[in-house]
Formats: sequence, C-alpha cells, structure tokens
Amino acid sequence: MTLFKQIAMMLSVFLVIILTTVLTLNFQSANQSVQDRLYEDAKNTASSLSLSLGSANGDISMMSTMINANFDSGNYRDITLVDVDNHTLYKRKHESEILDIPAWFLNIVSIKAPVASANVSAGWSQVGILHVQSDTIYAYKQLYTILKGLLISFTIITIISLSILHLILHALLRPLQEVQKQAAAVIQNEFIIQDKLPYTKEFKDVVLGMNNMVSKVKAMFDKGSAELKTLKELEYIDSVTNLKNRKYLVDRLPEYLKVDAHSKGGISILVALSGMIEANEKLGRRDVDKLFLDISKIFKDNAKNFKNSIVARMNGTEFSLLLPDCSPDTSMKIVNSIYASATKIIDEAGLNKEETFLSIGLYNYNHKDTIAQLFSHTDNALAQAKFNSNNIHLEEAKNATEVMGKDAWKLIIKQAIAKDRFRFVSWPVLDTESKKLDHHVLSINLNLDKSTSYSYAQFMAPAIQSNLSNEIYKNVVNMLFKTPDMVLSALTYSLRLPEQYLEMDETYEEISNLLRASASRLPFKIIIELPDKMLRHDAKYTKLYIELFQTYNIKIGIYEFIGESDDYQYLQDVRPVYIKGESSYFLTQSDQSLSALRLITDAVDINLIAVGVMELETVDKLKEKDIKVIQGKATELIEL
Amino acid sequence: MLKSMVVFVLSLLLINSVFALEPYVEKSLLKKIEVKYKVFAKKRFFYLQQTLDEVKDESDLEKLKAVNNFFNDVRYTSDKKLYNKKDYWATPWEFLGKDAGDCEDYVISKYFALKYLGIDVKKLFFTYVRSTKFKQPHMVLTYFKTPRSEPLILDNNNRRIFPASARKDLTPIYNFNGEILQKGKKKKSHKKWDQLKLNMKRKKI
Repeated sequence: MTLFKQIAMMLSVFLVIILTTVLTLNFQSANQSVQDRLYEDAKNTASSLSLSLGSANGDISMMSTMINANFDSGNYRDITLVDVDNHTLYKRKHESEILDIPAWFLNIVSIKAPVASANVSAGWSQVGILHVQSDTIYAYKQLYTILKGLLISFTIITIISLSILHLILHALLRPLQEVQKQAAAVIQNEFIIQDKLPYTKEFKDVVLGMNNMVSKVKAMFDKGSAELKTLKELEYIDSVTNLKNRKYLVDRLPEYLKVDAHSKGGISILVALSGMIEANEKLGRRDVDKLFLDISKIFKDNAKNFKNSIVARMNGTEFSLLLPDCSPDTSMKIVNSIYASATKIIDEAGLNKEETFLSIGLYNYNHKDTIAQLFSHTDNALAQAKFNSNNIHLEEAKNATEVMGKDAWKLIIKQAIAKDRFRFVSWPVLDTESKKLDHHVLSINLNLDKSTSYSYAQFMAPAIQSNLSNEIYKNVVNMLFKTPDMVLSALTYSLRLPEQYLEMDETYEEISNLLRASASRLPFKIIIELPDKMLRHDAKYTKLYIELFQTYNIKIGIYEFIGESDDYQYLQDVRPVYIKGESSYFLTQSDQSLSALRLITDAVDINLIAVGVMELETVDKLKEKDIKVIQGKATELIEL
Repeated sequence: MLKSMVVFVLSLLLINSVFALEPYVEKSLLKKIEVKYKVFAKKRFFYLQQTLDEVKDESDLEKLKAVNNFFNDVRYTSDKKLYNKKDYWATPWEFLGKDAGDCEDYVISKYFALKYLGIDVKKLFFTYVRSTKFKQPHMVLTYFKTPRSEPLILDNNNRRIFPASARKDLTPIYNFNGEILQKGKKKKSHKKWDQLKLNMKRKKI
C-alpha cells in the first residue's frame, strides 16, 4: 500500500472519529437541552397550577377541573395531585403514541421527562403536592429533526473535509511521487536525474541521494561504453589502413554462416601483396603504408555496393573481402578491376610490377559452410592464384547433394504453412555456476507427417531460398500467442525473431494485435530476442517494438552481439535481460574488453550468455572469462 | 462514695461531649466571617450558638420562640439597600454577618436554625403572604405540628408567635418547602431555593 493511501486512510479515520464525536456530543447536548426544557415547562406549569389550586380551598372537584383544563390544553404525560400523606387525590395520564418517528430512533434515544413538583396549599393549610411531567412526543420529534440536520451537516462537512484533505495530501506528497518515479526508473535501469528538488527536507535528501547514485551509475555506464568503444577500435581496426582486422572478420562470420542467414552465400576474396619487403627497401615504410592505404581504398570502393560486405586486413600483406550475395561472374569482374587499379598504383609508386603484385583467391562460399571451411577454401584459392598466370583463381563451392530439390522443399514448406505443421521444440539455457535453468530457447520443427520431421536447420535454408521464411515466422508467432498450450510448460521461453521478418511493414501490426488479444493469457514468460545489428542501427521499427514489448511486460534479449557499436546507449534504451554472443566471441575478447563490457552490462543489469557452446572444455574457458550462462550442446553434458 | 460521684460526673461529661451537637457554624467559616464582618459579627454567631445550645433539649415550641426572638433582633433592611438587587435570598451567614436583611432572610435563617435544632423540616414551610397592614407582599415561616394542624407563624414584623387564625393581618398565598420537593433524585425544586442551596454549598458569606 502506498504511503499516500496509508496517510489518507489514517487521517480520514481520524477525521471521521472527530466528526462523529462532535456529532455525538452535539446530539447529547441537544438531548439534554430538550430534557431541561421539558422540566422547565413542567416546573412552570406545576408552580402556576399549584397557585391556582390554592384558590379552590381544598375542593377536590374544583381542583380536578383546574387540572383537567391544564392537562387538556398542554402537552403533558402526567399530572398528579397527592395529599400530605402521599395519597393520590387526582391523576391524569396520557398514553400517546409516538408517530412519524422511526422505531430505531426510539430504541436508541431515551428521553426521560423529569417530574416537577410544587406544594399546594389552601389558605394556611397544606393540601399536598402537585407532580407534573411533560409529554416526550414533541421532544422526540424535535430531537429527530435535530439528528437529521446534524447528519446532513456531518455528511457535507465530511465530504468537504475529505476532499480538502485529499488535495492537501496530494500537494504535500507530490514530491514523493517524483521520488517514487525516480526509484522505479532506477529499478528499470533508467538514469533519470531529478532537477526539481522537493521543498520538504526529507524528500530533498532522498532526491539528492538518488541523483548522486544515478549520476554515479550513469558515469560508470558511460565510462564502460567509452572504454569498450576505444578497445573495439584497437581490437577490430587496422591502424594503417583503417580497415577491419582478422579478429573482426572472425567475430562477424557466424552471422553469415548459419542456416537462417540473411544471405545464402557469396564470395570470399583473399588478396595477398607480394614483394613488400622489396617495396619497403625502395620506398621506405611511410610510402609503403600510403600504398597500403591507397589499395585499401580500392577494396572499399569495390565492396561498398554489397550490403553487409566486410573488408579486413588479415595480416601485413593479406586482405579479405567478404561479399554476400555476389555471383562468381560479378566477383571476377570486381577482382579484375581491383587487380588493374592496384597494379596501376604500384606502378605509379615506382615499383616493379613483376616484383610487387597482387594474388587474388576467390571462394564462392555457402552459408552452410563453417568458418574453417571458408578460410580453408579461400586460402586454397589464393595458393592456386599464385600459380595462375593472371594471379587470380576462383574456387567454386561443391554443392552438397541435396536430399530434395528446391521445388520439392518449396512445396513442403508451403503445405506446412497452410496446414500449421510447425511444432515447437525447446532446449535449455543453463547457469553453469548455480546449475539452474535460466530459460528455454524455442525453436520449431516441421512435422510433415507422423514419421517425417525436419529440423529448423534443415528446412530454414530452403525456406529462405524460396522467400518463405517470413511466412514461417508469421505462422510461428501466431502459434505462440494463440495456442501457447503447444509449448511445454516451463517458466520462461525465448523466441528469436530475425530482422528481415521484423522489418516487414505488416509484422508490427500483426504482433501488436496478437499481444493485445493474447499477451495476458500466456501461461509462461516470453523473452523476444532481437538481433544486435537491428537495435544498434536503430532500424525503422526498433523503437516501436521496444515500446510494444514493454507495454505488455515482455522482456527483450539481444542475439548476435559482438560489441561493435559506436555508442552503447542503445543498451540502456532497450534494457535487454541478456545479451547472447557466440562462445568464440567471448573467448577471443581481451580481459580489458570484457571488463569494459561488464561495466556497461552490470550498470544496467544485463546478463551475458554464450551460445554455440559444444564442449565442457569451452564451458570451463568461459567460466574463466566470467561467462556463466551458456546455450548449446554442452548443456546436455552438465548435470543439474 | 466520693470516688463513685467523681466517676459519675466524669461519665456524664464524657457522654455529653460525645453526643454534643456540632457547632451551627463551623470554626473555619467563623474565622472567615470574622475577617469579613469583624469581631461583632463573630459575637453574634457566638450568641446564636449560645441561644441554640440553651434550647436544644427543649420542646419544639421553646425552640421556635428562642430562634424567632433571636433573629427578630436583626434589623430589617431591603435587598436593594443591602445587595443592590430587587430580591435576594441571603444565606444565614450573610444575614447574621451583616446583621440585616428582609423578610425572606429572616425565614431562611430561622428555618436552618430550627433544622439545626432537630425540628423535622417537613413541619416548616416558607409561606408567601400578603400583609394587609402594610399592603405589600411578605414571607413568614410557618410551623405545622402535623400536616393537617393549624400552623404557627414566625414573623419578623410581629415578634411573637401566633397561630395562623390569630394573624388576620396576613393573607396566605402559597406554602413552599424546598426540601420536600427536592427529595429523591430531583435536584431542582424552586428557583430561589435552588440558588440559596447552591450559595450555602459554596459557603457564601
């Protein structure tokens, strides 16, 4: 319960008690006043009637008449005349019914009309004593009217008082709401500095304290961010040519070499410059560096037309160009152009073309290749190129024998989409230290019939080739939210969504509608994994997706992270629960890089998860790097 | 013989002291009266006590006479002169302290003195009368031996006590006994009487 509610309740109860007490006292006072009035009336009657009775000289009939006249004309309950021996001489009593007054009021309120007495004498002798008691019926009516008036006043005063109390409390506790917002922001890892300091000293101190704390965390985040950026520059960039280096290429390659890669293949080019020792001797180091820079520019210019291309300097004399979706024919034109331009520069630099020259090996890679296969084939191509007369060699990929043809796959996938033949499967993500499950990763199988089932790795590549992958994801997301019972009952699942699917115009609308209709009914927690590249580049729908998922309290995870950003602010904006990177990425990071990354992720409470962990040996190495949560086949080897 | 006589006398003294009445005016109050009304006032209370002591064992009639005579020596003065009020019922201490008062004050003081002497208050009434001689309202104290007997009149205008039938100069209007009306749970009986009782409770002098 909020402090506002507690104080409001306490003061309201207090106020109601005070007002009720005042009401009760007022009513009691009115009751007493009415009873006093009854007595005074009775007393006046007793005095005046006793004087009149004195003139009757003890004649009972005369006195009875006088008493009757008085009794009938006034409001009396009882008039009794007793003699000096206390024997009743005459008595009138009125048994009136109390009308127009609710029974509960008569039960609660007790009015006792006091009896007033006066001596009655006749001449010098005593006649007796006259007792007079007023009728309470009018007192009840009067008191009931008073009570109604008091209750109306009380209700009005209570409503007004509570409203004023609410307004005052609201004004007094407004700074606390600001403090609460700031505290909630801190919990959400948002760094809000409250510039407007509250007037109340206690709140002011709290705000100052929180501002200080937030500033420190923000400074820590910024420091980590700056440090990581610097380290990445040192780690990934070649200082002479400003090209990316071998490490960068290795860290990025998993993104290109996977079953559901955006590009199904392309050309990997390895360029070797021969005769650089001689060049150094002739030109000197500075001019050779300039030569490298000029040749690098040629590489960059030729690669820039290919989306997601990478140009990297692999070592002192070798360069790599990765050109996704580039055909062998196009690549040959490109390398010929590169060769010609580079030879011209070498010539212009005054070097001997026979001594200093380029060898270019090309490999037509497939996204199903491993990194080792890609490097091995490209190296082979380069080795072969050195023997070729034109110093260029293209090595074609050997097409794997496909079980089914492209058209057969297309038919199966289309049928599966139409008949909802996809089924969820999951595998665990483990915390190797606590030996506990972190969450389950959801994947899908295509169940053609009872006996035939294809894994994601099998059907996704032909699906991408047939441009059906987005349809599959649409089907899967629908299935997840509309028939969540299909998912085994674990507490938390993650689902990876590719950028290509998310960037389709209709996807955002579809997911919005699904969440609106079904998010609250999901029997488990879901973490949506988004690609690091998409978040880093602030793609068209990124902000909308983040807001959408936050609205429905769906956590976000990041996958394919290699810490390549210029600014890590996006981590703070997205506030993912975890970042998933290839185990090889974490293992090849320097301690400084990981420490800087840790500084950022710890500041905003992000977990680091290594994926593709296949062996226990890798688990141990990751542990040494303080990466404890893993995903991959090694999870099957760990006993929980 | 002598020894037994001494024991008898001492026993009488002891019994006398045990059963002796409390003083009509307690000492602390008497001191205050002396301070306010000086030594002669104190002396008047002393003589009152002496008078009351003298008749304490006598008949009702003797008590009536002694009390009537004692208070009738106080000089009559109107409330207007004494208290600057049209009508005021003085406590016995104010009445004797000032040594002055009007007819109600005589009645009050006589009533409480007789009550002190043990006369049943049911026999005593404050009686509003009309003085045909002075043609003005007046008050006397009336004593009823029994409720139905002819009362005796204790009046400050006529120093002697007469039966009512002998007082042709007085026309009875109304008898009143506050204490009879006040019995039981009743706290109020008569406005003036109630105020007087309050003043006496507060030891007003």
